[in-house]
Amino acid sequence: MKEIFTGIYNKVIGFFKQTEPEANAKDIACNRLRVVLMQDRTNLTPELMERMRKELVELLSKYVEMDKEALELNLEQDGDQMALMLSIPVIRAKDAEEIEEALEKADKQSENTEDEEESSDNTDEQTAETESDEKTEKEDKSSKCKDYDEECAECNECVVSDDVECEIKKKKKTSKENKDKN
Amino acid sequence: MDGRVIVITSGKGGVGKTTTNANIGTALAKEGKKVVMIDTDLGLRNLDLLLGLENRIVYTIVDVVEERCKLKQALVKDKKNPNLCLLAAAQTRDKTAVTEEQLKDICEQLKKDFDFILVDCPAGIEQGFQNAVAGASEAIVVTTPEMSAVRDADRIIGLLEAKEEIKSYKLLLNRVRPNLIKSNDMMSVDDVVEILSADLIGIIPEDTGIITSTNKGEPIVNDEKSLAGKAYKNVARRIMGEDVPFLNLEEDNSLVGKMKKFFSGLMGKEK
Repeated sequence: MKEIFTGIYNKVIGFFKQTEPEANAKDIACNRLRVVLMQDRTNLTPELMERMRKELVELLSKYVEMDKEALELNLEQDGDQMALMLSIPVIRAKDAEEIEEALEKADKQSENTEDEEESSDNTDEQTAETESDEKTEKEDKSSKCKDYDEECAECNECVVSDDVECEIKKKKKTSKENKDKN
Repeated sequence: MDGRVIVITSGKGGVGKTTTNANIGTALAKEGKKVVMIDTDLGLRNLDLLLGLENRIVYTIVDVVEERCKLKQALVKDKKNPNLCLLAAAQTRDKTAVTEEQLKDICEQLKKDFDFILVDCPAGIEQGFQNAVAGASEAIVVTTPEMSAVRDADRIIGLLEAKEEIKSYKLLLNRVRPNLIKSNDMMSVDDVVEILSADLIGIIPEDTGIITSTNKGEPIVNDEKSLAGKAYKNVARRIMGEDVPFLNLEEDNSLVGKMKKFFSGLMGKEK
């Protein structure tokens, strides 16, 4: 019985309240327009905004413990001025040790990435060197080219890679073909 | 005489550029100003229809540009008001028939003889828009309280701000429906002004009279009873520098509106 009464009561109340809790068409239009116009005006796509949000989370979480999912990042118009509004729900302030730890960790990470970059640079240089070596040392004929013969020693193109056919080889081929035809 | 060249533009089509042009032009002429309206919507001309001048057009702007006639020959005088003239667009040509330079030149010539040169801009942001804006130093951006119209108006405002020649632009909010705004179903005037952050020069209520006035070829400002006509007249006075308060559109004078008011009075302040 109680349930029936509360049901009726809720319906009656709902009838008088009408559709107040629902957002009205005007507010929906305004909010959608604001978002769309910000994108139109700034060239910041939703993907870029999301990336900015993620990077900010990464940066700020070094200093405070926060609700990463609830961080809100919005572009807003304030008169003529455009503003980037950032709302960060902080769960707990980190103590000094934690912050130091996070910073050290971040520093290490950035060092590592730098090292990686450097090492990748080195490998690039090395490969470049090897290439130049191959070109300069003509005596050291590698067997890269399948049809390598002594005449090819004059030009070294086919040594570098299989794909390149040197002039001499081409000439040979054509002369052979001519002979066959004859 | 050094006339003011005002371009009436919107980005989106169908928001009432041409209606606004016809009414502001007529209203300014009624105030005793010498006004010429230029229709730059080549291929889709309509300003002549709204003014009821479609049968009087001999030469168009393209004829002027291609030197088949003199500029003064191409100006069509209004039926009622000799202060008002129309330079019609060609219906058989496209937007490339006139260049920015040529339009600028025409505006410069007309400045000498007229107080106001109103340029009716085609919809869109392509060459037609660029042409129409070329000779103007002021702009009226027409929009309605609808999302697509507001978005396009924002784009147009961005383009106008980038133009050095345009010294000022004002917003005209057309087809406002106070009842829908009251019930929170439509963006209010304040919402649109805030979103676009532009100065307002007029608020025109939605008015079925516009349809009949277009059908008759007579701008609604000639109808003394019409609210939209009154609103357009106020816009004209504001253009002339007068400080005219905006009309109160909240008052609903229809029978339904009066009944609603009566009943809401009976119900008291329940909210």
